[in-house]
Amino acid sequence: MSNNIDEKLSALYDGELDANEIDEVLRMLDKDANLQKKLSSYALMSTSINNLNNVQSIKSNSKVRNYSFWFSNSITAAATVLLTLFAINQFDFSRMSEDISAKNQLNIAMSSKEAKEIVSKAEENLVDHVMHVINNPDIDNSTPYDIDLRNVGYNRMSSNGRMFNKGNKNFLLRIEKKNLGINKVRYWQYGDKMIHVVPLTDGRVVTIYGNIDTQSAIDVANSITN
Amino acid sequence: MSSNSDNDDFLLIERAQNGHEGAFNFLMTKYYPRVYASLYSYTKSREDSEDLAQQTFVKVWQQISTFRGDSAFFTWVYRIAINLAKNHFVSSASKKDKLNISSTDLEIEFATFANPESDLMHDQSLKKISSFVDQLPESLKTAFTLRESEGKSYEEISLITDTPIGTVRSRIFRARENILNFISEELGDE
Repeated sequence: MSNNIDEKLSALYDGELDANEIDEVLRMLDKDANLQKKLSSYALMSTSINNLNNVQSIKSNSKVRNYSFWFSNSITAAATVLLTLFAINQFDFSRMSEDISAKNQLNIAMSSKEAKEIVSKAEENLVDHVMHVINNPDIDNSTPYDIDLRNVGYNRMSSNGRMFNKGNKNFLLRIEKKNLGINKVRYWQYGDKMIHVVPLTDGRVVTIYGNIDTQSAIDVANSITN
Repeated sequence: MSSNSDNDDFLLIERAQNGHEGAFNFLMTKYYPRVYASLYSYTKSREDSEDLAQQTFVKVWQQISTFRGDSAFFTWVYRIAINLAKNHFVSSASKKDKLNISSTDLEIEFATFANPESDLMHDQSLKKISSFVDQLPESLKTAFTLRESEGKSYEEISLITDTPIGTVRSRIFRARENILNFISEELGDE
């Protein structure tokens, strides 16, 4: 019996259970914590496999994934975290099933707070831009390759690149023709690097991502307009 | 809601839209890790990812009646999650300390991301699991891989492997059981 319901759970997980059997599994799930845990386990297993593709598209150092084998080609942060939670800490995702109505009420309250915090479209574009720089530093169709920063002491790290360095400072430089709606310098720390977004007086925006302090980044950006 | 071939969960979604909490719980449990993983790749923070994933499913529950099946269900959920993450990201940045650069009189806002490298661990566990899957009996491995890696339907797997659908269903189930047992027995004590 148990094996039978487990197999049905597996089939329902895959969306392959007959309509007339679904309610039986849902009823069993409602009262069987072990079955709920099994469903969580299926989901974790599946995510760990399939997440490799998604995360690789975000990571700049992605490797080519072979057909048909999961886990073996590269390890991603998200997949690793999931497996860590799953195998080591026995994290129970099924706890999310406990009280939908309470969460619903909570969210109504949150929604009004959230409404107050809705940011402008410009701010959203800026966030998109920063996330794009973090996740896809090599994708850049707008920055010219002939930027010369020697007047502020930085050398290009390769003949046709957008990476510059001076001593232990090194960074990737991008110039966007759109202004991203900002009129002041913004910066973020990401790991051991900084991302500076500096508006120029001509409406463009300079993004400087790397090991560089804020004042130096501003100096670099200002040198571009001079 | 129109039927969509990308929506394996059509019948569950339909039930959830009619207020069936059990069906919604099933969908939430199924997609929670994917949502969490997507948010983690965005936020690089476990705590934020957990908070945002929970908020995501609250919104999904509130709005599931508006899902029309024009996209895959996960795509719809993912969109909600990422919009929440973007708002969270922006509001976090705007709440942090503001600093002034004395020489430029420019206002600067500061936000800190967690270091993603700190979450890279347990590579060995993943390698062990991969190795275990490789050692599964060929019939189980093939059915499981076609389903999980390739997203094939049971009918497609049946055609590819020239096996009855009931056997495909059983093989995928047995593969999952074997892998879960392995994880529990071999990796649970690490």
